[in-house]
Amino acid sequence: MSPLHHKLLRDLRRLWIQVIAAGTVLGCGIAIFVMSIGTYASLESARDDYYRQSKMADLTTSLVRAPNSLEPSLALIPGVAAIETRTVGFGLIDLPTVDEPVTAQLLSLPEGRRPAVNDLTLRAGRWPEIHRPNEAVLNEAFASARGIEPGGTISLLIRGERKRFTIVGVASSPEFVFAVAPGSILPEPGRFGILWIQRSTLASALELDGAFNDLVLRLSSETARAAVIATIDQRLARYGNRGVYGRERMLSARYLTDELSQLKTLASILPPIFLVVAMFLIHSVLSRLVGMERSNIGLLKSFGYRNGAIGWHYAQFSLAFSVVGIAIGISLGIVVGQYMTGVYREVYHFPTLDFRADALTFGGAAAVGLLAGLLGAFSAVRRATRLAPIVALSPPTPTSFRKLSGRIERQLASLSLRSRMVVRRLFQFPRRSAMTIIGIALALALLIMSEHFPIAINRLLELNFGTAQRMHTTVTFADQRNETVLREIRGLPGVIMAEPMRVADVFFSNGHRREREVIIGLPQNAMLNRLVESNGSIVVPDKTGLTLSASLARKLGVEAGDRVLVEATDGLRVTTQVSVSKVASPFLGGSAYMDQTELGRLLREPGRINGAYLIIDPEQRQPLNARFKQIPSIVGVAYTDRFQSELQKLFREGVGFFSNMFLFFSLSMAAGVAFSAARITISEQERDLATLRVLGYDRKAISILPLAEMTVLLVVAIPTGLLLGAALSNWMMHQFETDLFSFPLIFDRGAYAQSTLFVTVAVLLATVWARRDMNKIQLVAALKSHE
Amino acid sequence: MKPVSDPVFAIERLCKSYGSGPATVHALRGLDLTIAPGELLVLLGPSGSGKSTLLNILGGLDRPTSGSARFGNLDLATADDDTLTEYRRRHVGFVFQFYNLIASLTARENVELVSEIADAPMSPDEALGLVGLGERTTHFPAQLSGGEQQRVAIARAIVKRPTVLLCDEPTGALDVATGVKVLESLLHVNETIGTTTLLITHNSDIARIGDRVVHFADGMIRDVEINAQRVAPSQVRW
Repeated sequence: MSPLHHKLLRDLRRLWIQVIAAGTVLGCGIAIFVMSIGTYASLESARDDYYRQSKMADLTTSLVRAPNSLEPSLALIPGVAAIETRTVGFGLIDLPTVDEPVTAQLLSLPEGRRPAVNDLTLRAGRWPEIHRPNEAVLNEAFASARGIEPGGTISLLIRGERKRFTIVGVASSPEFVFAVAPGSILPEPGRFGILWIQRSTLASALELDGAFNDLVLRLSSETARAAVIATIDQRLARYGNRGVYGRERMLSARYLTDELSQLKTLASILPPIFLVVAMFLIHSVLSRLVGMERSNIGLLKSFGYRNGAIGWHYAQFSLAFSVVGIAIGISLGIVVGQYMTGVYREVYHFPTLDFRADALTFGGAAAVGLLAGLLGAFSAVRRATRLAPIVALSPPTPTSFRKLSGRIERQLASLSLRSRMVVRRLFQFPRRSAMTIIGIALALALLIMSEHFPIAINRLLELNFGTAQRMHTTVTFADQRNETVLREIRGLPGVIMAEPMRVADVFFSNGHRREREVIIGLPQNAMLNRLVESNGSIVVPDKTGLTLSASLARKLGVEAGDRVLVEATDGLRVTTQVSVSKVASPFLGGSAYMDQTELGRLLREPGRINGAYLIIDPEQRQPLNARFKQIPSIVGVAYTDRFQSELQKLFREGVGFFSNMFLFFSLSMAAGVAFSAARITISEQERDLATLRVLGYDRKAISILPLAEMTVLLVVAIPTGLLLGAALSNWMMHQFETDLFSFPLIFDRGAYAQSTLFVTVAVLLATVWARRDMNKIQLVAALKSHE
Repeated sequence: MKPVSDPVFAIERLCKSYGSGPATVHALRGLDLTIAPGELLVLLGPSGSGKSTLLNILGGLDRPTSGSARFGNLDLATADDDTLTEYRRRHVGFVFQFYNLIASLTARENVELVSEIADAPMSPDEALGLVGLGERTTHFPAQLSGGEQQRVAIARAIVKRPTVLLCDEPTGALDVATGVKVLESLLHVNETIGTTTLLITHNSDIARIGDRVVHFADGMIRDVEINAQRVAPSQVRW
């Protein structure tokens, strides 16, 4: 081992706390990188593998009724690789242990063979036998939530008829990776069951003998897509086709895509922030080291050491920082990634989903860590290589301070001498002061962002459940009913109030732009379901005309006053021009709203409704549920309170964990920056501090100096961090928005105050800890040192 | 703490060693010395002979291993940290080879640093005037020459009217002409405010400006010589 290696090891031992501080910040960035890229890759490969193995549909459509004889000709359309026609419907599962009826989606299984598209993966049991019509396969999520195993039975209400099915198999399906009941936005595994029943049995139960009402297909090539859509739409037009669409509108696939893009956002935004701060810390420590060792470097060069050897010696310090950061980052990243994958496993139902970061991810993490280290060390290494040997022999010169501007100096005159020392140092090293301020401000901003996320979600939920969706229960019908049915519903036990629900599936067109969306019909004076904007204001659709969401209006290229073409995909399939009367910013749910009466008139289906929103007497919940189970037209009963608690659980596990992780990461960053800055301040002023002690200042009087310096930096960093935090959190939330929801703009004073307090405490504690070094200053030794 | 009249320092069997076992370095090996008020005492000897160790102990920066060093009633060997701080603040002025000025404070502010905590200081301008630095008081150390910096250091040391002035090779880093100015300043202070002054030097010629010269070798006092004829700094060469 060469003498320089000995020196390296000894110096690293001496600087170990700073190595750990910078390494931890670097590690946090690398951990987020490993976690988000690894989770992204795991989720994406689980999805792609699963879609490929189980032949996930590329396109799908639903229709009213088409004869089975159509299928062979559909399969021959060029570009279609495989096609499966199905009968699909809804029913209610009556579980003896559960009060309320549970929605069941019913799908047909081809008889005697596996589905050619959207194949199932059998997780337990077996396939139904062809001559046993009452055998069915149940989806895994519901089966495990309700403890139903192969051999169990299920009582099902289909179109008013009660049927019993024996569950022979438990399976997962690529189209229900994210399984949400119709009308919901969140998976509630125990409240939404999916049953696959043999084709002839289900067809007769749904009165679709010899016919199909749903179609899924796989394309042989993506280029054929448009032609296939056009051909099928045209051929099925007379059978009540609702329009072929791809995975981008299949709810489960769409959620997965959104989730993946959010992980990508996470991977691209957060690690760079930590890496930049880590680079700054490495830069500070190494610059200080090279500064202190100026004469040693000169001496080594005068002995004949080459610039390269000196540069490499200091570059090796950066490798030590990187190695610590990479080790912390990769191990933390794996732990967090495994936890996140576990949360995803509960929400997304893949046959297998394990956290698997590949060699490329780890290689990338290591490369990023090394690069951050080297970039951080760059200027210090360059300074070391450029130092002339003569500096070893030249006498020490005091740091060159100069007078600040006249105004500042006049202000300084009124301060104590020690305060002047603090202020002049801050101005003397403006780049370093700025970097410390930015480091602390970034930590504060990250902390605000991590606190902002749950607050934004709570606000979203508050808006949703307090202002927008105030119903206790939502009842969905299998088909449209006349609104006179509301009278019957109002007569049910415990129903205090009932409002109609009207939803129409349509295509909007403006020139070549075409979007498929639903129009939500809102009654005038709606109380239970209202259009609420992200700022909390309630928007009432005009008596005529459409109210569009800003994002849909943008996609269609229309503004208030313009006209759009509306084509209904079911019922009488009316096609008509409608004017846009308002453009609003709803925070959740639909993209197009209309007065309910006007919508009925427009579609020439006045007085038709799809369901009802209810306010009920909680005491009467049990008898009401019993009655619901007896009403054949009801296929869904959703209770808002259950939905709310399910949501809260999901957020607690996912968002709560993230918030705590960011709390830890941000505090590590704040403490790391503060510790490093305080440590360097003390080490640079060691001689001055010793001089002050010799002149008769006691320990307390001199220990104020680094504390005051950090306090000034903190005082500047806090407002910077607050502004940065507000901008970063709202921008970040904007990145997480999807077509399904947008976040309200929030400024939560409590969260800002709490984040400020946390960062202040972290900075002061780190400074106090670094200040312990002052007690170790050897007066005599410090005075003898040249610098 | 009460200033003493006579002697300023009474040193008995003073020992100082560093390290332990076979690696022990004996910096002072049983010193006995008394120093009278107003005296200008020169400590002369080669490097490692114990001069600086003695100065550090007398300045309250270091503690002896055994023996006693009394400043009046105060035993510097046994005083606690706070007492030593108080002692330095009230009675001691230091001048170092490398000046030890605070780089972020101007010349005047460096002097104020002491006057603001002293009991009955002279004004910083008066102290700077005594060392011949009435001008350039608003300059930072980096803007001053070595001699000027050292004279600021002297002004800073004397502004409190210290009982003792401890100077560790104050001319070590200076050329002859500048060094002479610095020595003149020290002498001037010694004469005008009667400060007991201890001056460390390697240079036997400089020793001629003192009242007494203590010769050090191997941690012991080899000889104490009284200068019958003190010379002026301007007559000293090195």
